[in-house]
This record gives sequence, C-alpha cells and structure tokens, in this order.
Amino acid sequence: MSGQIFGQVIISGLLLGGVYALISIGLTLIFGVIRIVNFAHGEFLMLSMYITFWSFHYWGWDPYFSLAFVTLALFVFGLAAHRSIIQPLLGAPPFMQIFATFGLSIALQGAALFFWKADYRTVQTSYSTSTMNLGPIILSWPRVIAFVVALGITLLLFWFFKHTYVGKAIRAVSQDRDAAQLMGIDIGRVYLITFGLGAACAGMAGALLMPSYYAFPMVGTNFVLAAFVIVVLGGMGNVTGAFIGALIIGVVEAVSGVLIAPQLKEAVYFAIFLLVLLLKPSGLFGIAGAEEVGLK
Amino acid sequence: MTGALARLARALCGDSRRYLGLAAIVVLCLLPLVVRNPFYAHILIMMFFYASLGLAWNIIGGFAGQLSFGHAAFFGVGAYTSSILSVKLGVSPWLALFAAGGMAAATAAAVSYPCFRLRGPFFALSTIAVAEVLRILAIYFKEFTEGSVGILIPFKPGIANLMFRSKVPYAYFALLLMAAVFAVSWLIEHSRLGYSLLALREDEDAAEALGVNATECKLIAAVLSGFFTGLTGCFSAQYVLFIEPFTEFSLDLSIMISLTAMIGGLGTSVGPILGAFLLTPLQELLRAWLGGQQQGLHLFIYGTVLVVCVILLPNGLITWLSRRLLSLLRHLPAAAAE
Repeated sequence: MSGQIFGQVIISGLLLGGVYALISIGLTLIFGVIRIVNFAHGEFLMLSMYITFWSFHYWGWDPYFSLAFVTLALFVFGLAAHRSIIQPLLGAPPFMQIFATFGLSIALQGAALFFWKADYRTVQTSYSTSTMNLGPIILSWPRVIAFVVALGITLLLFWFFKHTYVGKAIRAVSQDRDAAQLMGIDIGRVYLITFGLGAACAGMAGALLMPSYYAFPMVGTNFVLAAFVIVVLGGMGNVTGAFIGALIIGVVEAVSGVLIAPQLKEAVYFAIFLLVLLLKPSGLFGIAGAEEVGLK
Repeated sequence: MTGALARLARALCGDSRRYLGLAAIVVLCLLPLVVRNPFYAHILIMMFFYASLGLAWNIIGGFAGQLSFGHAAFFGVGAYTSSILSVKLGVSPWLALFAAGGMAAATAAAVSYPCFRLRGPFFALSTIAVAEVLRILAIYFKEFTEGSVGILIPFKPGIANLMFRSKVPYAYFALLLMAAVFAVSWLIEHSRLGYSLLALREDEDAAEALGVNATECKLIAAVLSGFFTGLTGCFSAQYVLFIEPFTEFSLDLSIMISLTAMIGGLGTSVGPILGAFLLTPLQELLRAWLGGQQQGLHLFIYGTVLVVCVILLPNGLITWLSRRLLSLLRHLPAAAAE
C-alpha cells in the first residue's frame, strides 16, 4: 500500500471516527452514569436525522442551521423517555431496563417505518459532496465539520464536568452513587439530566451526519453496536475516552477494510472489543475496577 | 439424579393439585391434532419453538443469572452445522440434529469460559459481540456457508429426512423438543446443580466461599443451554428450509429468546413456556393483521406493548400470575395422596 493511499485511509478512518464519537459520547454518558444499556440510542440518532431531513424538506432549513433545534428537540425527547420509561424501572431487576429500551427501539423503528416509509432520505445541499484537498489527500467537508464539532463537544463536556456543579454531580454519581447520594446529590435529577444530555448528543450527531449520509428507519442499528464497542473501549462514562476510542475504531475499521477484507472490518473491531473486555474491562482510559461499581 | 427423577414422576401424577399439570400436558399433546388451520398451526409451532429457546436460555440466563444476549450465536451454529452436514455432505438429518447440538454446546463452552469473568451488562455485551462476529464469519466463508445468499434445504419429505408435508409432525417435533428442554431444566432446578446455580446467581463470592465451584457449574449450564439452542436451530432449518446469516445470527432473535424467558419469569421452568405462549401469538397475530397493509404499525404496537409489559410486570408474568393462581389453586380439591 503506497504512502498516499495509507494516508488517505488513516484520514478517512479518523473522520469516520468523528461521526462515531458524536454518537458514542451520548451513549457513554447514559451507560456510565445511569448504568443502562440504551438500545434505543441508535433510534435517537434516527429520529434526529429525520427531524433534520423534514426541516430541510418543508422549511428549507440547512442541516447546520437546524443543529441547535434538533439538539434541543432530542434533549426534550430524552427527558420524556427517561421520565416515562427508565425512571419507573430504576428499582427493577437491571435487565428489565434493557428490554424496555429494546422495546422503545422497536416501537420507534416501527413508527418511523409507518409514518415515513422505508425510503432512503437525503438532504441535497451545495456542500454535500464538496471536498477539500490536503496535499494528495482528499477530505469530505461534511465529515471534517462533524469531526471538528465532535472535538468541540468533547472539550465542552470536559469543561462542563470539571467546572460546573451539575457536571461534578454527574461525575460523582458515576463514580459511586451511594456516596454521591450521601453527599446530598439528587440522584434522580442527575439521571434525568444525563439521559437528556445523552439524547441531545445523539441529536447533534444526527444533524451533522445528514449532509453526508441518509436517513432510513433502521439507520440506528448501523451505528449503535459500534458505539457500544467504543464506549467499553474508552471506559464507561468517560467522554474523552469515548472520543479517542471512536477515533481508534474509525481507523481500525478503515485500515482493516483495506488490509484484510471489507466484509471483515466489523469482525475486527468486535474482536478488539472482546479482547478489551477480557483483558481490561474498565476500558483503555477507565479506572481499574470502575466497571463493577453499582453493578451488583 | 434418581431422587430428582422420582420427584419429577411424583410431581407429574402423585402429588395433589398436580393433575392440573397433567391436564395441561394432555391438552398440549392434543393441540397439534385439533388445530387444522395452517396459520394457527404455524403459530402453535412457533409457540413451542420459542418456548424451547426460552427454556434453553433460562438454564444459563435464569438459573445461573448469566444474562446472554447472544443466544442467536448457538442457534445459528446449530442451524448451519445441521444444514451444511445434511445438504452439502449428505449426512442424515437425524445425525445432523445431534451434531448441531454438539457443535452449539462446544461453541457455548468456548465462548462462555472466558466471558464468565465479566459481570452484568459486560457479559451481555460480550455475548452480543460473539454473535455478531459469527454472523460476519458466516457471510465471509462462502465455501461453507454460501455467504449472504444462504443455504436452501431441498425439500425431501419423509421421517428419515426430518421434513414433513403437513404441519402436524412439525408441531410434535417442536413439542418434543420443548418437553425435552423442560424435563432437563426441571431436573436441574431440583438438583444440586440447580441449587448451586441459584446460589451463585444471588452472590457469586458467597457461593464460592461455601464450596460451590462457580466456573464448573456455569460451564455445565452454558453447555446444556447451548446444546438445546443448537437443536432448536436445526429444527428451525428443517422447518423453514432456508437459512441465511442475517436471520440465524440476528440480535433481534437473541433478544427475543431472552425476552421470552424474562417476561415469563426468570429462573423457573414454567416461566419461559408462559412467556412464549404470551409473546409469540401476540407477535404473529400482529404481523398477520397489520404487517401486510400498514408497514411498521405492528412493530410499533409490539414495541409499545413490550415497554408497557416491562413497566407493569418487572418481575415477570409468573410472579404476577402465581399470586393470583395460588389462591385459586388452594380452593381446588386435593388428591388423596395429601
């Protein structure tokens, strides 16, 4: 493989990683703090892609213009989903919650299929296929923007967790929920906000994906398993870890697609996932033993 | 084991109130003959089919508390083993049936052994990953599996080929399968192994401190669970006569299997049967009524019902039912034995 192709593959992998990062950041918040395996996360992404598509279709809103609106809409949707489905099940046997999110995922897919049909929807903008040249390497503009925003969100959340009261409370709950409660943190509220934030991240990802991807009812399933791999790789609840993990998985996927076989690229990252789980289940950047907190 | 066998025999006929169980068995045995409509017969077969899968899952997921979301892996391995053996190598489907079980059991052992270190959602996620890897491999190794095209099993009806023209023999085949898994899980439930599994499900560290060999017990449970899931995979291949990687190894199937056991009631031998008898007709009828005309509507309703069921019955149907049924049962006349 020549240096130029290699460089192109690495860069494409990093840009794909940027898209993965946006989806995984929301998932890692929900998984890391509330300890819920949110199977409906891919459907949150699907919903936001459809909202972006319809705002473009009916009102001509540019996807980057609807970004804020879609993020807010998904935040509210996340709050509602948490209140109606997750909250009543917080005391239930832990795996009932998985079935609830799985049911939500089926219901949302069914609703999308019913209302919007199985067609692939794309947003045609002037920049959808535009590229920039970085020496011999070609980059797609929408992917570059998604990458930059993902980086920005990661930094913003990093700051949020370090310097705000709510952020610190979320971190405290993810580290030890009992101790956090004893310190006077309202756990129910933290869960609610975290779930909303997680859904909002998926909303942002959907709007940013729309210029270079297409919406269809099952689109979420393409991303959600990769996102789980990334979340575990980066350490649960670790936003920076999720960002770096996403870049790693993006590059691994791109490189193994070229070096091994395109059909096997997913098998490669699932194999990495299993190895990480078996050798260092706290993830590459997690604290050892953190994966067991609150699980028993 | 003999003690448990004697107890099973006693439970089936001697003990009081158990004549209800006997009646249920008679009804189940007669149902395939009574239901003549092919559509309802199909639903009946699917009920037995999912009950078998749920019961098999329950051995590792319910008794041992190792919640697997990747049982489609063992199902797919079973379906592929039997189909490759019988279609490509000309092995008798009867032999292929047990090869399917054996292969699935071996896969279960190989996969579970390293994964047992993981707890909670991590075990579940690792089982999903295993099923996904197997699916991708089944697509990739075209020489054996025909890749995404799938394997078409030529229809040669006859008992020697394990294929039938009518649905009645299939229904008995599935019923037999269900009865076999039920008997095995009942025996486990009332044996030393069962108690050990329950103990380590509640607290693995405490159980080990009391001398339970956790790894060995879980491994036995995983192998048994894999074996029966593999058999059911072979049954499905012989019934549908077509297999392909996306349905055999699908996450949806894995979740459906665990859901059947969960909705019924975790860690009981009757629960998965109840779960299958509730969920399967619901799913099949919704699909038949709404699937054709309004795309997606049946999925929407099914998903919503699922969420509502989980919120209303977080401990499973059987806990809810038994509370109501037990009081009713107490008023029934008891047999002379008691």
